[in-house]
Amino acid sequence: MSERPTVEAYKKNIQEGKFRALKCSSCGAVITPPLGTCYNCGGNKMEWTNVSGKGKLVSFTVIHVAPDEFAPEVPYIVAIVELAEKSRVTARLAGFDPLKPEAIKIGIPLVLGYEKGKSGKNYLSFRPA
Amino acid sequence: MPLKKTFIVSGAQTKFGALEGVTFREMLAEAVDKATIQAGVPKKEIQAVFLGTFNPEMLIHQGHTAPLLLDYAGLRGLPATRHEAACASGAVALRAGIMAIESGLYDTVLVGGVEKMTSVSTNKVTEALAAAADDEFESGVGLTFPGVFALAAVAHMNRYGTTQEDMALVAVKAHKNAASNPLAQFQKEITLEKAMTPKFVAWPLKLFDCSPISDGAAALVLSSDKKAKQYTDTPVKIVGSGQASASMNLSGRSDLTSFEASVAASRSAYKMANLTPKDIDFAVVHDCFTIAEIIATEDIGFFKPGEGAKAVREGITAKDGAKPINPTGGLKAVGHPVGATGVKQAVEVYKELIGAAGANQVPKHNIGLMHNFGGTGATCVVNIMRRADA
Ligand SMILES: CC(C)(COP(=O)(O)OP(=O)(O)OC[C@H]1O[C@@H](n2cnc3c(N)ncnc32)[C@H](O)[C@@H]1OP(=O)(O)O)[C@@H](O)C(=O)NCCC(=O)NCCS
Ligand SMILES: [Zn+2]
Repeated sequence: MSERPTVEAYKKNIQEGKFRALKCSSCGAVITPPLGTCYNCGGNKMEWTNVSGKGKLVSFTVIHVAPDEFAPEVPYIVAIVELAEKSRVTARLAGFDPLKPEAIKIGIPLVLGYEKGKSGKNYLSFRPA
Repeated sequence: MPLKKTFIVSGAQTKFGALEGVTFREMLAEAVDKATIQAGVPKKEIQAVFLGTFNPEMLIHQGHTAPLLLDYAGLRGLPATRHEAACASGAVALRAGIMAIESGLYDTVLVGGVEKMTSVSTNKVTEALAAAADDEFESGVGLTFPGVFALAAVAHMNRYGTTQEDMALVAVKAHKNAASNPLAQFQKEITLEKAMTPKFVAWPLKLFDCSPISDGAAALVLSSDKKAKQYTDTPVKIVGSGQASASMNLSGRSDLTSFEASVAASRSAYKMANLTPKDIDFAVVHDCFTIAEIIATEDIGFFKPGEGAKAVREGITAKDGAKPINPTGGLKAVGHPVGATGVKQAVEVYKELIGAAGANQVPKHNIGLMHNFGGTGATCVVNIMRRADA
């Protein structure tokens, strides 16, 4: 865990199903996605940290019109999730019917996982806890 | 520091819509001619040009657009720069023009904006637009532009009880205003029922919550206090200008029910103009999606957070209401050729202020505000303008 976190490595970790967040070495703030400078303290030294994988739903949408890359996956759900560590990520949301969005409630507890898309990409994906 | 000496002396737009057979450069040239020779400003008086255009690279495979556009428009040789801030490209070009006049470097400059969007498929446009969000961490997960505003809509609905019907009412108002605007893409009123047609683009946003895919251009001429009266008897003074940025990622913001760059940009514009929201007679805001209009009217301080939808329901934002919003039809119904929009908004405010808005004229028109928003809300520009004799 000693190598310097980079944007490339952050993305690679998601592709490999081994998500890790950044942590500000000065104040300990957990940061996702990567930033070069911590907005809590101004520090610019970052290290990797593991997260609990717990989070809650902040907001979501169901995408029906998408770029060609994602078009074969519609309708799919994109969500903003707040991790227990207080940092937020934009990810897919699984475990719900995208055609019944009314059933999805803001604030529900979620757990972190992964989802392989038809695009071949591995997405960070949350499901109900 | 207050703005001292920048005036709009002319402004024009082309028709917005699917302009088949009309290219990028031809649209801009048409807007330039309307704002110069047809408005009594000889082209030879223009000293520099500031142009807004968002993504011609992906939409029409063209870069280095400023000299290209100028050359065709009869302005070859002038200093010309292209400005890009997604959907706020036009307004950042305008701000560059304002700063050029305020600095004393030039007395007369042209500001233009243009986009050609209808020559590729909707999916390709969606991809080109998504390039204005963080490609690594948001567009890369499959988030689209309508999706960005849908996330804001869901948060607003959840906190304040805003409904899909409230958003549809914004579309009904936009189409109603645009029905009398000959330059609008959609010149037809729609019923609430039609606006509620459940053709989802990014739930809860439906077809009629979205601005369309459009072609079009706009241009205006800015002049200093020394020269403005030579071109027109009714110059409009830019009294306040604010610009701010925010986290590109929605995940980087603590509140999705308000756009912090809008709040910050409008605060600095009000401060510079020494005015408050109460002093503003009407506003042209960035309604790329219906929810964006509701939130913008809250962010610029016209209504309290959460009360934007109520203002629509009560007709306060109608053309003849107490605070008219987008009296000509907004992006929603006039169209949204991305790079042209910020310039077109300034042209609309200018026309309303001088009483030249025809059937779309608002009753009270001394002071107006424009709000132009870029991308995920990562850029916002707010300008406040006042008729010189008001
Ligand atoms: C909403 C959207 C996906 C619709 O595109 P589309 O599905 O290809 O729609 P089409 O071009 O096939 O049009 C279908 C019909 O709806 C109409 N239409 C298209 N977009 C419309 C809109 N936004 N509002 C109202 N009517 C619209 C068309 O005129 C057409 O009507 P017709 O059948 O009577 O001729 C597209 O307009 C869009 O992506 N808008 C958002 C643009 C955007 O994100 N801009 C940047 C904002 S920051
Ligand atoms: Zn820190």
